[in-house]
Amino acid sequence: MNIRKRGNKLGFWFFRTSLKWTGLSGAYGLLYFVCLYYLIFDRTAVSASMAYIQRRFRGINSFQKYHAVYQLFISQGKSLIDRYYVVSGLGRFDIELRGYDRIKSLLSDSKKGLILLTAHVGNWQVTMTTLEKLGRTVYLLMSPEENAAVKDSLNIDSGNEKVKIISPDNFLGGVIEIMKAIDEGSIVSIMGDRSYGHSASEAVLLGDRAYFPHSAFSIAASAQCPVVVLLSAKVSTKKYFVDVSHIMEPRFSSRAKKKEELEGFVQEYAGVLEDYSAEYPYQWFLFHDIWRKENKAVN
Amino acid sequence: MQSNEAQDLAQIKKTLKELLVSDLSLEDIKPEEIRDDEVLFGEGLGLDSLDAVEIVVILQRKFGLEVKDLENRKDVFYSIDSLAKYIYENRKKNS
Repeated sequence: MNIRKRGNKLGFWFFRTSLKWTGLSGAYGLLYFVCLYYLIFDRTAVSASMAYIQRRFRGINSFQKYHAVYQLFISQGKSLIDRYYVVSGLGRFDIELRGYDRIKSLLSDSKKGLILLTAHVGNWQVTMTTLEKLGRTVYLLMSPEENAAVKDSLNIDSGNEKVKIISPDNFLGGVIEIMKAIDEGSIVSIMGDRSYGHSASEAVLLGDRAYFPHSAFSIAASAQCPVVVLLSAKVSTKKYFVDVSHIMEPRFSSRAKKKEELEGFVQEYAGVLEDYSAEYPYQWFLFHDIWRKENKAVN
Repeated sequence: MQSNEAQDLAQIKKTLKELLVSDLSLEDIKPEEIRDDEVLFGEGLGLDSLDAVEIVVILQRKFGLEVKDLENRKDVFYSIDSLAKYIYENRKKNS
């Protein structure tokens, strides 16, 4: 569910006003009614969530499934409100950064940059601002339809020289720009839980075979740079954590084993996300059926 | 008798084709079967964006070229001809 795309001006006005007058708690309160509306009337949003919900909560009945979808909608609503809260300057969140020393040492030990592998979890747009203290430019590999929301949350159009966008619609999916950025010591953030039509590898996720994009691992192996998994989650009303402690060094032992080894890297990443969903089931905003074979693009 | 430039270009093309077949694990095709003017990506040889990463690595490690010079150079990746020409001109420039 995406309130930004689905909501109307009046709806946004209500949320903004309640946020200003009643703070986060008041705005969150509105969500319970708004999300109930979407649960009943927005069949597209509900069915988009079901692929994840029915695998994450196996064995639950239909009522429980809808309740889980409702929880997921509310959780994403909170995430969107939190993003607006930060962007509009109404306040900030406490952010606990886990694994910062390791990522800092990785960057200082090498002239090369690294790949930051993100997913639709927590509130990565808000929490990524904590990485600014690394002093490296962060490039986001991002499709044009996501640009507007991300530009707002990271102030990209307000002269933020430390965060830039590489479009996957560029020539060869932007790989030349990605390689250049890594070569120059920058950080390239790639979304790892949706392939957007790019090549994908199979991995078991929540008991079934799913399809994950493998470009991050393939590029890292060629560029000889690490892949750092970025996770974030909201742990209380005013606190998030950002975890960058899971570091992978994807390398191919031989050309013949490339496909098999890529699947191994993807499986490791799927395992990290599965562990995350075990702890924060309503903060993985997976509104896309990554288990459908059609998502395995031939590109 | 071929000029030095033509000889150099021919050698670069031969090396490139061998590297493409070995480093990109191209199956069912031999280096000598790749035409100089064959389109590399999409139609033609059918390479994809991840193959482009390997080509960039080949250009860096085997030919000593820098990736920063390749940004916005879609024309370079068109065919063996265009790649070889780019390598010839830039290797000469850098040496």
